[in-house]
This record gives sequence, structure tokens and C-alpha cells, in this order.
Amino acid sequence: MAPAQAHPQTALTAAEEADLVARLRAGEERAFEALVDRHYGMMLAVARGYVRTRAVAEEVVQEAWLGVLNGIDRFEGRSSLKTWIMRIVVNIAISRGEREARSIPFSSFASEGDEPAVDPDRFRDEDEGFRGHWRAYPGNWASLPDDALLGRETLEVIKTAIEDLPPAQRVVITMRDVAGCSPEEVCGALDVSDGNQRVLLHRARSHVRSALERHLDG
Amino acid sequence: MAESHDHLSCQEVVELVTGYLDGALPAQEAALFEQHLNFCEGCVWYVQQIKTTVETLGEVREEDIPTEAKDRLMSAFRDWRGS
Amino acid sequence: MIAYKFLRPDGTGVFTGFSWPLPNGDPGPWVEATVDPCLSGIHACRPKDLPLWAGHILYEAELDGEIVEERTKVIASRARLTRRIEAWDDAMRERYTRMCADRAHELARAASPPREEWEAVIEPSIREGPALLGFVAARIAEEASGPEAYHAERARQTEWLVEQLGLEG
Repeated sequence: MAPAQAHPQTALTAAEEADLVARLRAGEERAFEALVDRHYGMMLAVARGYVRTRAVAEEVVQEAWLGVLNGIDRFEGRSSLKTWIMRIVVNIAISRGEREARSIPFSSFASEGDEPAVDPDRFRDEDEGFRGHWRAYPGNWASLPDDALLGRETLEVIKTAIEDLPPAQRVVITMRDVAGCSPEEVCGALDVSDGNQRVLLHRARSHVRSALERHLDG
Repeated sequence: MAESHDHLSCQEVVELVTGYLDGALPAQEAALFEQHLNFCEGCVWYVQQIKTTVETLGEVREEDIPTEAKDRLMSAFRDWRGS
Repeated sequence: MIAYKFLRPDGTGVFTGFSWPLPNGDPGPWVEATVDPCLSGIHACRPKDLPLWAGHILYEAELDGEIVEERTKVIASRARLTRRIEAWDDAMRERYTRMCADRAHELARAASPPREEWEAVIEPSIREGPALLGFVAARIAEEASGPEAYHAERARQTEWLVEQLGLEG
């Protein structure tokens, strides 16, 4: 049976979540499968932020699912199910990452790229007058044909851009923009402050926008 | 902030976009941000670019779980359920 | 064409930093530039643009050469400052800012539901200057009653300025 992956942005309502948890506790296989299909991709992306290889990340995710099953009876619903699952992934990934002596990216995220969002060369400097204003306006994407943005090529550009990101930025943008998590869910899962997740998101989005721009305008 | 506190520059605006879209800017900064967009077409287009980028990111499908991994998980589930 | 220009207290352009030759009884000398909207050229205000750019010192300007009228400003290849609008001093600036702030409060409270989040912005914004307050008042009007309300509020602001400063409407 091919996995029917729910679109990441269709979040579960509290009632739908409670129903899934109840069915899981009752041992219903389809409930577990639905949960796996829904969260696997993001769990893998988060684990990749902490460990060196994809193979290790896959093991982390396997372990995390066992953690979910063993802990589901104790889940009280104080956070969303998604946040709770992500916390399990993060905890396992961190201890796995420590065992592998890899520095944990989030402890030093402030130094992950201090570049401004847009190349300073694109703005006028002191001697040109209008300091800080665009030298040339960025493109007006609203005037592009629809298929320019929805094609497979564009998605490939985006995926490559995400892969290029430093780990902490990659995890945050995956959770926020690919998976549609709220800032609170990201902070809860990754144990970072609201300000910090926003800085990471800002840099990540700037990078992806740049890549898209090169693809569309180039 | 720019020397002229009356207005933000475009360079300042682009650094504030994420905060603005999250509704996380202090209210005054948000007002200054919107005021700038009121007369700067270039920054209006930049903000639109960021919004479009976010929308396109939402179209990226996360990885489907590989079959062997799925099989392993389902069998682990049956073990768990059985106990 | 007669237009207006706000400058910083030291006589430099707000966005360009260009040091304008100031009038002294007689109009100042002509200044020339290439017109390239937003990027180059002499930027000036028509009366309806004054609220958007309200700054420190106000001059009347004579525009000549190539003149391009844009949505929020006018751009010329040639201009000279003819006289300072003395009536626009610190006291007038403060009165105008206060007028906009009071209007903003009025509009925020009259909206249904009242706009609490805007209310909180108004007083703290005063130190950012008259242009921001004018914007805030017009935006609240727009959020409460649509785009026509925005333009109506801006027109009110222009009317106030033209009258108080004795300008040619």
C-alpha cells in the first residue's frame, strides 16, 4: 500500500489529534501508519540537523518512534502531538550526536552565518546619495506566469537551496515553512527562544529567496 | 536605524521582513515598516518575493519513508502492541 | 512648476545627503540632475505629498526641465529653492504631529472594534516625527473604512498644512 502522505500544511485539529492518540493506544495499526506517514519526513530533517550522516539520522528516527510508542500512554496533550514527537527526536538526536562527538549546532547557532539578508552591494552607499536604497529594484514576481513558480525545476532549486543551508537554519526552515509548524512548536521542539528561531528562519529564507531569484531572473 | 529617524532605508527594511511577517516587530517598527512600503515599490516587490518563497517552500513534499524503514517500523509496532 | 522640499536642519537632502544651496532673500542657484525615478533627480512634494514627507525644514522650490509626476512625489531635472517656509518651524511641526496623533486616537477609538493595538503605537511614535504619525492616522482610517478613508485622511492633513503654512493649494 503506497503511503498516502498528508500535505504537511494541513495540520490536525485538537480533536483529530486526540482521536489518533486514542486509536494508537488501542493498538490500531492504521493510526500508527498515518502518524508515521505524516511526520517521518520532518523527523528525518530534524535529526539530520544533529548527526553526521543520513544513515544515523534514520536510526535516530527509528528509535524515536519506539520512544513514541513506549511513551504514548503518558502523553497528556499539554503540547501538540507534533511538538511532543519532535522533542523525542531532538533528545535522541542530541545524545546520539554527543556520542559521535559532533558539536551540537544549536548551541552555537548565533555564529551560523552573519551575512545580511541581501548583498550590501545591492544598496547605494554614502557617496551615491539615497544611502541604503536599492540600486536596482528586485524583480516583480507577481508579473511572472504561474507555471514559472510551480514547475518541478523550481522545486528542485528550492530543495537544493535547503540542502545547502547550515544545519540549524535547515531544521528551522523545514519545520516552519515546509512543514508549517508555528513558532511555538519550533521553540518547544528545539528548545530555542522565539528570537533565535526567527533569526535562523530569516537567514534561511534569505538564502532560499536568493536561489529562487537566480533561477527566475537568471 | 538610519540617521533620519523619520524613515527606514530599504536595507533596513529587508532585515525586518521575517519579523514583520511573523507579527513579531514592536508596533512602532511595524508602522515604520509599513510606511516605507507605502512609497517604495522595490521593497513591496521584495516582500512579495519572500512571501512567494515561503509559499513555494510549502509545496515541497517531505520525504516519503523508504519501504524497508516502514516495514521495520510496522513490525516494531506489532511487537509493541503484542506485549 | 512650484513645489516643496523638506530638508534636514543642516540644509542637506533627507535621502541624498546633498547640500542644497539655500535661498537668502533671493532664490538659490539652479541645481541640475538626471531624472531616474527613486534613484536620481530632484525629488519634491506637491501639496498632497507634504504629509508623506513632513520633515524638519521646508522650502518652496521652482522646478524646471524634465518633470516626472509620480504617485507620491514629483521629480525634476532642474530646480532651485526660492524661499524658506518660515511658518514651518519646530512649534508648527509639533502642532501638526499632535494633530495627527489626536486624529489617530479618534479614529482608533471610533473603529468597531476599537483598534487597541494601534492605540498603543500612537504616543510612542511621536518622537519618530510627523511623517510617521500622518501615516499611522491614515492607515487606521484605511483599516477601519477602506482605501477612500486613507485618501480622505491624507487630504485632511494636506488641507491643514496648506492653510497653516499659507501655501498655494
